[in-house]
Amino acid sequence: MLRLLGAAAFAVVLAACAPPPAARGDGARIVSLAPSVTEILFGLDAGARLVGVCGHCNFPPAVERLPRVGGYLSPSVEAVIAVAPGLVIAVPSPGNREAVRAIERAGIPVLVVGDRTLADLRAAIRAIAAAIGEPARGEALVARIDGELDAVRRRVAGLPMQGVLLVVGHRPLIVAGGGTLQDELLRVAGATNVAADVGQAFPQIATEVVVARAPDVILDAAMGTEEGGRDLFAPLTTVPAVANGRVVRIAPDALFRAGPRVGEAAAALATAIHPGAPG
Amino acid sequence: MRRGRGAHLTPRRLLGVLAVLALLVVASIVAATLIGPTSASLARALGPDGAGTPDHLILFRTRLPRVLLGAVVGGALACAGAALQGLLGNPLADPHLLGISAGAAVAGALVLVTGADPVSPVVPLAAFAGALGTMALVFVLARRDGRAAPTTLLLVGVVCNALGAAAIMLVNALASYTQAQGVLFWIMGSLSAQSYVLVGLVAAYALAGVVALGRHAQHLNLMAAGEEGAHALGVDVERVRRTVFVAASLLVAAAVSVSGMINFVGLIVPHLLRLLFGPDLRLLLPASFLGGAVLLVWADTAARTALGANELPVGVVTAFLGGPFFLYLLRRTLRRGSA
Repeated sequence: MLRLLGAAAFAVVLAACAPPPAARGDGARIVSLAPSVTEILFGLDAGARLVGVCGHCNFPPAVERLPRVGGYLSPSVEAVIAVAPGLVIAVPSPGNREAVRAIERAGIPVLVVGDRTLADLRAAIRAIAAAIGEPARGEALVARIDGELDAVRRRVAGLPMQGVLLVVGHRPLIVAGGGTLQDELLRVAGATNVAADVGQAFPQIATEVVVARAPDVILDAAMGTEEGGRDLFAPLTTVPAVANGRVVRIAPDALFRAGPRVGEAAAALATAIHPGAPG
Repeated sequence: MRRGRGAHLTPRRLLGVLAVLALLVVASIVAATLIGPTSASLARALGPDGAGTPDHLILFRTRLPRVLLGAVVGGALACAGAALQGLLGNPLADPHLLGISAGAAVAGALVLVTGADPVSPVVPLAAFAGALGTMALVFVLARRDGRAAPTTLLLVGVVCNALGAAAIMLVNALASYTQAQGVLFWIMGSLSAQSYVLVGLVAAYALAGVVALGRHAQHLNLMAAGEEGAHALGVDVERVRRTVFVAASLLVAAAVSVSGMINFVGLIVPHLLRLLFGPDLRLLLPASFLGGAVLLVWADTAARTALGANELPVGVVTAFLGGPFFLYLLRRTLRRGSA
């Protein structure tokens, strides 16, 4: 109870101190409905303003103490209203559309930011920074991320371009296609996505397509969640990635989130794709 | 469905029809193996240094096992459909429509989200239990005097499917995001898990089911004319029912556990074959297996190639073939039922 009072008092003080928000809404009590949004808020040093996060928000560790207001794509309108936010930030999705409308009808301003590409990420950071009255921090965060991405580009500059397949699911085989954040990060990391032209963001492909596209490296982001796929690629002996032992498991979180850790994700990709390159 | 158009079943006719269908299966497998989203040359694959080429890998290590898996799964589903239609005396009986596939899928999904290895034998065993449980439920609820009236059967199927769908949604809601995604795709149906070992495993399950069903084909024929009469002729009606029940569950479970929900194969194939060759189950059961193999091989070929490298779930293809066919059958059955 004391802690709650303290938090409330803190919020009141913050609300009093904060400059008038640039966008609609009150940035002192924020609910984030997406992991990427939560990470952006912490990236803007505004994590303390969060009063609720979605069930899938797991980074940074500080989010563990925050109330959960439902799933990533299925927020609980009641839970959101219960924490009395001044601003709710969501990503566009058919799954949360109705809930977002209901939250707006309840008189709570909602900011919806894109989460599909690097351009979306920059726009999202700027929009959120403006909404919480910290546009300068937004510019600084964008500059930091761009700097990190440039550093990765410099690291791999001049190295031979590698054909990469980024695997998202094993059964069936789902991979990252063109137009995705992952496709962009692969390019930053000195690679071409061999599935870029399959024709969908995350297409399902037949195993023979892997053989035909013959990637130099297979990055497996599904291995942690689908144990059955351990030997999935082993029989594909003519694929350079398999022949040269370049099927690499990668941790998925940062790579699948249009958040401030994309530079980190690109660096991890570069390390996996060009192991010999100077760090 | 009892007015068979086919002539009296002689061994010669039986073997003749099955031989033609078997040839069709082999031809379909060969043709489908040569068709795919990527180009692979058979000449190069079979050439002097063929074994090490991508062409060989594509044709014989990835595409052929997938086509074979499709044949076995399609055969299992169609054979189960034929047996259920015979046993329930109802042309609308189908593993999918009765919710038996859903029962298998729920159990499979449940095991999958607990982190089970998708290729471990636990998944088919769970699916078997799910199929068996659902089939028992359907029987208890839908049968009356050895028959299941079309409307009763449809209602039971609708309810079982709804319960299955709800259970799957519940499993999904409680699972992590990535697990839920995996279950969703698994349920949509795919033959992409290809290895000869898996094909062999499923084929062994399916063979056991088909043999068990085949041994009771004549008993089922007699039961179709009336269970009392069959009993008088010395048929152990309860035992036949139980065996068919378990064997059909086994077939459905084997299919669902490797390929998720592939709908309507069990409905379309026995029907077409019954129209062609008559209702005698001694022919209809093995013929349905072969016919189902042909249908699913081609449905999967369409799923693999329709959008280039971007694959469609094969369940989508069979549903688009089977949905309209089912509506046509339903209209016909109900019209005749009310006449």
